[in-house]
Amino acid sequence: MFDLDRVISLLRQGRHITEETVYALCLLSQELLMNESNVTHVNTPVTICGDIHGQLHDLLTLFEKSGGIEKSRYIFLGDFVDRGFYSLESFLLLLCYKLRYPDRITLIRGNHETRQITKVYGFYDEIMRKYGNSNVWRYCCEVFDYLSLGAIINQSVFCVHGGLSPDVMTIDEIRSVDRKQEVPHEGAMCDLLWSDPDDVDTWSLSPRGAGFLFGGQQVQEFLSRNGVDLIARAHQLVMEGYKEMFDNGLVTVWSAPNYCYRCGNVAAVLRIDDDLSRSYTIFEAVQPQNDVGNTILPTRKPQMDYFL
Amino acid sequence: MSMGNNSDDNQELFNSKYILTDICCWNSVQSVESMERIVQQTDYDALSCRVSAINKGYLPSPCYQLEKCKYLGYKEIHLEYLNGLRQVSRRIYGKVAKSLQSSYPVMNYGTYLRTVSIDTELNGILSKIGKEQRVQIIDLGSGSDLRMIPLLHNYPNLKFIDVDYAESTKVKSKVLWGTPSLRELLKLQEPQVDQLVRSDIYELLSCDLNDLNETCAKLDEVTDVNIPTIIITECVLCYMTQDTSQRLIDRLTNLYKIGYWISYDPIGGAHENDRFGTIMQANLRDSRSLEMPTLMIFNSKEKYADRFSPLETSIQNMWEIFSRIPQDEIKRLKSLQFLDELEELKIMQTHYVFCKVHWGDV
Repeated sequence: MFDLDRVISLLRQGRHITEETVYALCLLSQELLMNESNVTHVNTPVTICGDIHGQLHDLLTLFEKSGGIEKSRYIFLGDFVDRGFYSLESFLLLLCYKLRYPDRITLIRGNHETRQITKVYGFYDEIMRKYGNSNVWRYCCEVFDYLSLGAIINQSVFCVHGGLSPDVMTIDEIRSVDRKQEVPHEGAMCDLLWSDPDDVDTWSLSPRGAGFLFGGQQVQEFLSRNGVDLIARAHQLVMEGYKEMFDNGLVTVWSAPNYCYRCGNVAAVLRIDDDLSRSYTIFEAVQPQNDVGNTILPTRKPQMDYFL
Repeated sequence: MSMGNNSDDNQELFNSKYILTDICCWNSVQSVESMERIVQQTDYDALSCRVSAINKGYLPSPCYQLEKCKYLGYKEIHLEYLNGLRQVSRRIYGKVAKSLQSSYPVMNYGTYLRTVSIDTELNGILSKIGKEQRVQIIDLGSGSDLRMIPLLHNYPNLKFIDVDYAESTKVKSKVLWGTPSLRELLKLQEPQVDQLVRSDIYELLSCDLNDLNETCAKLDEVTDVNIPTIIITECVLCYMTQDTSQRLIDRLTNLYKIGYWISYDPIGGAHENDRFGTIMQANLRDSRSLEMPTLMIFNSKEKYADRFSPLETSIQNMWEIFSRIPQDEIKRLKSLQFLDELEELKIMQTHYVFCKVHWGDV
């Protein structure tokens, strides 16, 4: 057995974790996640967090600014990996917290928690760089298949990574989905992870090539049919960190500040209190160097960022 | 002179030179030479991006480059050039090949957009001028760009002049001469000792665009100020200071009687909450000591185009160009790599502009 607190401490410093430890960690996480339902019940007060995308140092800021895992409850809406330089550390840290404080953190699957997408958007390459083989990537992908598809807070707030699906009328219908698989290219499970709200009258094709666009009417119908007040989702970069739409019936929460180290956006988390009131905390990206000039972010970026 | 013997010597020369400039950088002494080298190296990024876009099938675009521009052998020309580059400099080849390994769709889309925009515009101007009268293209800071090959093939009335730093033209000259197919396509003449390749239709000029007198003197030798002239600056003006770039624009738009200027560059963004430009400046400074002195000065489309005033200009950002690409082509692009989101692409492409300028009468 490994010492969970020690692994947490290593991960927070962005230090290397052995392949064996990752394997053990992933196995334990799978066992834990396996018993969770597709839509997890969560009580208030709770902090809802959007996309993280491997920005470990910003994830640490997120915990710092919102009370910390020792004191608060969290829901993460997915997209832990890809794009940033510390996908592995970010995802493993969240898994360690889940093992250490199982009832304080809920992890929902995002559209990047798949084998296909991580091969293109950085997580796979990161593992190859860090380990020289893809084993760790495979272990993590196995865990992805067990992540929940949504959560519901006090029967009032429905949490999901992307959005609604024309194949899902009631939240109960999500419970019957067989989630333990790679995300399919269409159907309810795919839509929940890929869809976006937009100014449309009816279900429309998404420019992303997966999921749907849905409008105010679809949102109002979903809310009243399911007796909930709010859909909290992530999935889309919002420069201001969050964006409420459709008479505040839906909110997008984005938690990766200065996304991809170049977009210049701020990040937000949303706290839902016992009286269901909403409060947003805005935070900025960590500086590339600390106040004594030591590098926090790697300067040798593995990827070209600009057109030169 | 024979390529085989020389390439090794030059490899040596390269290495020793780079070690020297590296030390300069460590000491934070930004000598002119190291700044020059830093800017010159951006060419390898552009080349990697282009090869990556070719590799994934974004380029050549069937509807723009093949059908409209009638480009032939686009992919083959680039592969031949890469092969030649491997013979001339393993170091540069290694750099280009390494950054090829992982290429994000968002970068391939951007490379596609800049490439087809410039190619389509060039072809439009050239076909408007027709094949009867002489016409010349001056590609300032051309680096490893190879669009002269299909263009010269399609327009027998065209003369193409590539201009770049000596370091860059030296390599290009060797690669072109060392690659028989490219040598033939450009009808190159065997270069004299220490000279660059040239032909009746193609010139390769070494000069520093910051030195206006040198640039004009060299252009004067190989161009005709009285025939229609197309000037290209693709990510070039952004590395120059405000004064130097303005003097270059003023001088050349006065020198050539009838002209077109096609320019592609990043802009910093003018909205008060827009931090893209300042972050870009900081990122490039931290990671590679690269400066973009006017990014926040010409931070909007209007301000960028205004540099060419009072000439007739039209400017678009690349996101606007993207939004007008026909659905069939978009469908083709989507089939190449899965583009997971549009927000990031939009942010990036709204910060790059494509500017067209025209003066004089054809």
